Amino acid sequence: MMDVVAMREAVKQRSLQHVVVLGANGTMGYGSAALFTTAVPKVTFLARSAEKAQEGVQGAIDQVRSHTVAHRAETGSYDDNLEEALSTADLIFEAVAEDPAIKAPLLEKVDAARSDDAIVATVSSGLSINGLSAPLSESFQRHFAGLHFFNPPNVITGTELIGGDNTDPAVLDFLEAFSRMKLGREIIRTHDTPAFAGNRVGFKVLNEAAQLAETMSPAAVDAIVGPYTGRALTPLATIDLVGWDVHRAIVDNVVDKCDDEAIDTLKLPDYMAKLMDQGVMGNKSGGGFFKKSDDGKLQLNPATGEYTPIDAAALPDMSHTDEVVRLYSEGRYEQGMAALLAADGDAAKTARKFMAGYISYSFHRVGEVCDDINGIDRIMGAGFNWAPPSLLVDTMGPANAVKIIEEADLPVPAALTSAGSEPFFHHPTMNPGKFFVAAA
Amino acid sequence: MTEEIYVLGGYQTDFSRNWSKENKHFSALMRESVKGALDATGIEPEEIESAHVGNFAAGLYCMQGHLGAFFTEVDEAFSGLPTGRHEAACASGSIALLAASAEIEAGRYGLQAVVGIEQMKTVSAAEGGAFLGTAAWCEDEAEGIEFPFPKLFGRLGDEYDRRYGLKDEHLAEISRINYDNAKLNPNAQTRTWYMNKEHALSRGDDNMEVGGRIRIADCSQVTDGAVTVFLANREKAQEYATRKGIDLASIPKLKGWGHNTARLRFDDKIAESKDDAYVLPHVRSTITSAMERAGIADVSGVDVIETHDCFTTSEYMAIDHFGITEPGESWKAVEEGWIDIDGHIPINPSGGLIGAGHPVGATGVRQVLDAHKQVTNTAGDYQVADAKNVQTLNIGGSGTTSVSFVVGV
Repeated sequence: MMDVVAMREAVKQRSLQHVVVLGANGTMGYGSAALFTTAVPKVTFLARSAEKAQEGVQGAIDQVRSHTVAHRAETGSYDDNLEEALSTADLIFEAVAEDPAIKAPLLEKVDAARSDDAIVATVSSGLSINGLSAPLSESFQRHFAGLHFFNPPNVITGTELIGGDNTDPAVLDFLEAFSRMKLGREIIRTHDTPAFAGNRVGFKVLNEAAQLAETMSPAAVDAIVGPYTGRALTPLATIDLVGWDVHRAIVDNVVDKCDDEAIDTLKLPDYMAKLMDQGVMGNKSGGGFFKKSDDGKLQLNPATGEYTPIDAAALPDMSHTDEVVRLYSEGRYEQGMAALLAADGDAAKTARKFMAGYISYSFHRVGEVCDDINGIDRIMGAGFNWAPPSLLVDTMGPANAVKIIEEADLPVPAALTSAGSEPFFHHPTMNPGKFFVAAA
Repeated sequence: MTEEIYVLGGYQTDFSRNWSKENKHFSALMRESVKGALDATGIEPEEIESAHVGNFAAGLYCMQGHLGAFFTEVDEAFSGLPTGRHEAACASGSIALLAASAEIEAGRYGLQAVVGIEQMKTVSAAEGGAFLGTAAWCEDEAEGIEFPFPKLFGRLGDEYDRRYGLKDEHLAEISRINYDNAKLNPNAQTRTWYMNKEHALSRGDDNMEVGGRIRIADCSQVTDGAVTVFLANREKAQEYATRKGIDLASIPKLKGWGHNTARLRFDDKIAESKDDAYVLPHVRSTITSAMERAGIADVSGVDVIETHDCFTTSEYMAIDHFGITEPGESWKAVEEGWIDIDGHIPINPSGGLIGAGHPVGATGVRQVLDAHKQVTNTAGDYQVADAKNVQTLNIGGSGTTSVSFVVGV
């Protein structure tokens, strides 16, 4: 990580007076554009039409609840305004659909129209930075990076910064310094691997929860992998929130391009593919694993595609969480975790298996997606709001982490068996306690 | 001071957290803060000889009193520890620090824990606003008034306007600076909130009026948070320095303190100062007496200020009361960029109460911990280069109780 002196130097190297956002009518586009208006005097919202771009400005205003966004915003369409806007842009921020076939022709136009010194960043959540820039000019490649904000960008600070093989290190330093100092970001530098660090690890856990929904109800899955396992939002509710299409794009990309020890857990369940053919996309389509109705919350039956009321009596016995939650509520996190590790019953066993899978997969990605576990810890904490894997290890103790990984019949990371007394989790300000929500 | 008071270090919880949403009891907030400080310094619980809690209104917000006793929940080694709780509205944290200092000066104890703590998100904004009203003369100034404190500090702005003139754009710039600084502080409550000068100046639903000239952007926050610092006498500080392999001289000291109380009603304060160049002369006296005790002639001997910006008007008041400008000319420091983080006298690099947050009883302790971070070059992204002396100003009520510390190496 850059220190404050290096950041102040880096941020002085450039002046961002004008940012152009491509795809400014999408949620990531207008959310990012709104964020830029906090620190940049002029932000141009571009979309397929001027009307769509204007919708983006309204989306940004609504997102951050400030009409002053409009004072700094200009709008336009790709056909009429792209070249002119790009010619004066200091930063071009691409946030169009997560599809190389859509991104490639637009980036080609950007390459032709940008000034030689303009930085180009993509908010892609996992497409290859080298791949996207390979056909483009040397100057483009030097100034191109991934700047992966999480949704919604004005709320979630965790942000991945990804350089390509030819990205100028000074461009990466500037993006880190600007993002941290002017936008309040927690910047994690990751390697250019599919889904980068956060989504690679996070969607593995989410997809495994979706797979589990083939054998038990969605409400049961979300109860077992609940907040007490170190997350504010439960996994299937998270997939509904991000959208099934986004989930599918991420896991398919990883399965297509990676071959790791747990790749089967990233394979999209067949029922999800079938239901997506029928238009199920999660909250944005009116329902996913869960659906709101006048009669309360309904849950999906993955086998039939039907929605039925959640029957509390049919949920698994969750009595093992009572003691865990009581201890967490008093801030006794180690003791709460010990109670979870000691709990009897299938639900507790499944909860431990999920934690084991998360820890094992994260530690096995060190070197591949990030230089060290600290990067994975920071993006899981600041991007997903999940207890970072190292923090779970520290809270239960490395020996117990090894034990639950072995019990789940998963590969044990070498770092855990050789652990000394030093904690794994290092962050000066990320409060460990905030991840241990005292709720079942 | 008769005995030197050393500040060994401490810990602040992330002020953006909502402990009610986490379903956490008050004891968890206390526990995380104290344990965090023990971890950050490597001090063992057995070494702590006495403990003080600064808190304004846990009895209202949490239906919980007897806060010192919660130390015994933090660690078994605290069983039997002498503890107590101190209250002076928003200055409660500083009062706890003063009490702990006095015990060290009296030779009673060598190493003390001081916790400033407030859990405020247990109730609605309106209900919390009414609780805060008890920091004023409640019956006269707060009862039946929605959000009484913004209105009182709006009147502070009105008094400046009457005596010297006051422009909204200068208050908006103070807000902008605090929010910008907060983006550099990972413990700040507002680091993801939307703000720029246009927003701070805007009027309407996005930035509602809450008390005369005071808009939402002019206000500090409703915050859950706790901060712990450890104070030590010379002997204990030397032991700590030896253990850490550092020079005693590199450990910051509370070099000076000031402490005054003015009349409780705002009108009475203003009536008393009508012939004075300073609108709140007791606040001025608190600042200058802290400087005097620290052997500092004037503000030119101070590198950084952490002040009590419960509202933009209170920071505006602090600027001339610190002597950065002549009385009534605070706007000059705002316009010239003197108080920006890269200015010649940065105010609130942490983001202050507006940016970092204002868990009422924790604020005075948070200011001293931030001062410690600045003078030990450990403030991370909000570090001010070469900070040697940092002065705090912590205010309870409408300028009623004021406390200032000079923390330096």
